[in-house]
Amino acid sequence: MRGTSTTVPLQNPSLFNNPQSSLAGALKGCIGSLDGACLEKLLLHCASALENNDVTLAQQVMWVLNNLASSNGDPNQRLTSWFLRALISRASRVCPNATNNNNLHNLERRLMSVTELAGYVDLIPWHRFGFCASNSAIYRAIEGHTKVHILDFSITHCMQWPTLIDAIAKRPEGPPSLRISVPSWRPPVPPLLNVSSEEVGLRLANFAKFRDVPFEFQVIEELNNDMLLGQLSPSTLQLRDDEALVVNCQNWLRYMPDDEQIKGVISSRDIFLDRVKDLNPCIMTIVDEDCDLGNTSLTSRIATCFNYLWIPFDALETFLPKESRQRLDYEADIGHKIENIIGFEGNQRIERLECCNKFSQRMENSGFMSVPFSEETIKEVKSLLDEHASGWGMKEEHDMLLLTWKGHNSVYATSWVMVPPQMDMRIHE
Amino acid sequence: MPVDPDNSSAMNDSTGSGEASVSSSGNQTVPQNESGKKKRNLPGMPDPNAEVIALSPKTLLATNRFVCEICSKGFQRDQNLQLHRRGHNLPWKLRQRSSNEVKKRVYVCPEITCVHHDPSRALGDLTGIKKHFCRKHGEKKWRCDKCSKKYAVQSDLKAHSKICGTREYKCDCGTLFSRRDSFITHRAFCDALAQESAKALPEKPPNANEEPNKRVVASSSPPSTPPARSPATESQLPPPPPPALPPPAAPKPLMTPAIPPSTSVMSFVSSVQNPELRENPNPNSAGTATKQVIEETAAVASSSSSCSNVSTTSSSVFGSLFASSTASGSLPSQAPGFPDMFRAMAPELAPPSSTEPISLCLAMSHGSSIFRQAGQERRQYAPAPQPAMSATALLQKAAQMGAAATSSSLLMGFGVMSSNASSSNGQQEWSGRPIDTDAGLGLGLPCDAGSGLKELMLGTPSVFGPKHPTLDLLGLGMAASVGPTPGLSALIMGSNLDMATAGGSFGSGDFSGKDLGRNS
Repeated sequence: MRGTSTTVPLQNPSLFNNPQSSLAGALKGCIGSLDGACLEKLLLHCASALENNDVTLAQQVMWVLNNLASSNGDPNQRLTSWFLRALISRASRVCPNATNNNNLHNLERRLMSVTELAGYVDLIPWHRFGFCASNSAIYRAIEGHTKVHILDFSITHCMQWPTLIDAIAKRPEGPPSLRISVPSWRPPVPPLLNVSSEEVGLRLANFAKFRDVPFEFQVIEELNNDMLLGQLSPSTLQLRDDEALVVNCQNWLRYMPDDEQIKGVISSRDIFLDRVKDLNPCIMTIVDEDCDLGNTSLTSRIATCFNYLWIPFDALETFLPKESRQRLDYEADIGHKIENIIGFEGNQRIERLECCNKFSQRMENSGFMSVPFSEETIKEVKSLLDEHASGWGMKEEHDMLLLTWKGHNSVYATSWVMVPPQMDMRIHE
Repeated sequence: MPVDPDNSSAMNDSTGSGEASVSSSGNQTVPQNESGKKKRNLPGMPDPNAEVIALSPKTLLATNRFVCEICSKGFQRDQNLQLHRRGHNLPWKLRQRSSNEVKKRVYVCPEITCVHHDPSRALGDLTGIKKHFCRKHGEKKWRCDKCSKKYAVQSDLKAHSKICGTREYKCDCGTLFSRRDSFITHRAFCDALAQESAKALPEKPPNANEEPNKRVVASSSPPSTPPARSPATESQLPPPPPPALPPPAAPKPLMTPAIPPSTSVMSFVSSVQNPELRENPNPNSAGTATKQVIEETAAVASSSSSCSNVSTTSSSVFGSLFASSTASGSLPSQAPGFPDMFRAMAPELAPPSSTEPISLCLAMSHGSSIFRQAGQERRQYAPAPQPAMSATALLQKAAQMGAAATSSSLLMGFGVMSSNASSSNGQQEWSGRPIDTDAGLGLGLPCDAGSGLKELMLGTPSVFGPKHPTLDLLGLGMAASVGPTPGLSALIMGSNLDMATAGGSFGSGDFSGKDLGRNS
């Protein structure tokens, strides 16, 4: 096994091991064994073969991978199966006359009901961590305000808000009136619902009524993808002067195109942040995944992605059986992400995560300053994690909260306010 | 080198017990990336400069790991040991900890089959690795009185006992939750709440057909009332009602279910409560549930316009690529690779006739019902389903088969040409177990790749030697000729083929901008 090799480089993007069959165990070298490192290398070789137009090699490696991967095996195999699928669809896209391209673009769309989604976001603390930290920060920020307006940019269809509504319902001085606005556009990624945003809003309204919280919900029609940036204005958003404005970005910023792909143009991501700043929110909560996928090189993206997405696969493995429907669905959604990251380039590759440090720098460059999370928030998050499997942990770095699985960073949660003008040290052109 | 109490006890155990599986990197610093490339701290990777320590199983399980070097008394915690040592009136120098302490340490699991045996998956603290080892590879000696759950680590049992049966939140729909936030979130969106506020609903007959949204999975107890696939009802999921109407007026009926809460939610809840358990407490119901979800997913999908345009062509791509050994041969209509999603995609397919676990790998056994029960009781893992051949053997096979391949495109080989199901060799290739197919790879390798591979298996591993032109199988208009494939040989050779040496090749230098997939 790996013990026989003389160097054990940690920088080697190798992965965890598989249980060994005696046959494989007899073979020397990491390629002889069936561990994650082997699988990852094969994927990388396949990708590099594709990049080199070495079709022969690509096909051969794919064939091998096909026999090693399995969507129903152990975490390594499952993860690999999704990567392989993405590589195949990528390869097939360059051969338009052999197949109808459109069909391959349409990955299965699995739609959930709202209650299914409610269970889904709590399967592992991946989402709930961000919800908890953000809601706690928001709760503090709106203290003393009687009217609150939340601009919600997220992919989880308002799953975040029931707990906030519940918290503000119990506010000693009485709940504020709450308004939540969501854009009508949403990136075409899982999790997907089988009802519209309006329906979700109705249910939320119902719940708020049940908790005696004055509530309004609106879907901002003009905020579609093309117009998103242009329409982030107080009038389009129907901001009201007497409201405290909260901007919540949850797994959202990564879908704002960055300057890497649009040369010569200012990054849309930065424009988005600028526009938000102009709205003068009292707090901006941002949650995303700590992974750097901006690199243009396919092979480095595969390596990074493989070394990051093992986390949810490993976590699910600890408490759900191999055939668990929920687990398979969750993994399939991650597979959807892999498909985009590996299978596409340019404008079609919409998953553009950046790591928390780079993101932090971007925020500061845009004139935001970070707000540390309170002790109370940290306690809340910790007790949330205590209720999940024991591999989940948390750490604090420069005002950011990071969710960890077995010590590895997964999700970061941050909160920001604008730098007051007199303190603004940035150089203006 | 000054005596370091922490290190010395580790070394004592290692040398004394003789069981140490100190990895070859042992207590040495991990070597830097050989190519001199700027090192990256990849996400999910611990500090590359960290010292990797592999303690022996005995050490990890020992309760008194910290041993006083003077009187050999053992302690559970380092702090306790330090306190004790003060009592020995040591000279000042020996009292101090070594300055080597500042180096970050990571710990690997000695169990070879374990995920955390690899240094890139090391755990950051000693307690963590001890707990991990005990939990995963140790015996479960601790047992909860109330619910009989077993734990290997006593603190896990304590943590569990705190919440066992204490907090339970129950939604009006009957679902139970152990965590308040998931209860609240569910409640906000649950039909039961909507119904309650509407207060205008007739009593609902115990007919599961009318609850498309509520059904997560069928309940476990009554197989007699399976959630029928009711496309008619499903198709009632239309645009939402105008805001003026109360929710229950929506086409979806929102009534109290007659059937008890869904199994999957229950299992989910119980699964969440039992992080240590691998086995599903209700294997039968889970099986049933899975099947019914499959049907349900198909039903839901059939009504959703966004799903319906996925044709069987894409099913056939993966179906033929990943056909199971039980494939009937009509590959376009069977898509066992990603079972449920394909069924969801192609509602015209018959519902699965079995819930047999289907894997991509043809050679893999379907004995993935080997849950972890047995494995957990002992250190030995019950192995996950393994391909019958090792990667090396597979690579060799790929090379052999390549030699006898017929000509067809990559995609034909992968079975994309669904209309030529009978004539395309590619599909035939994939329908059987790979180790049985001798008729060629079917991947469309007209060139004599096989001999090239063999030659290079023996030859020198020039990983990414001069790029050889290959046949223009993808129709890209490139020059075609026969050539060896150095890459595959390198894989086969690959004992030390790590990214460090190949790093230069993989880096952005040579390959960027040559993406095949760059369309725009």
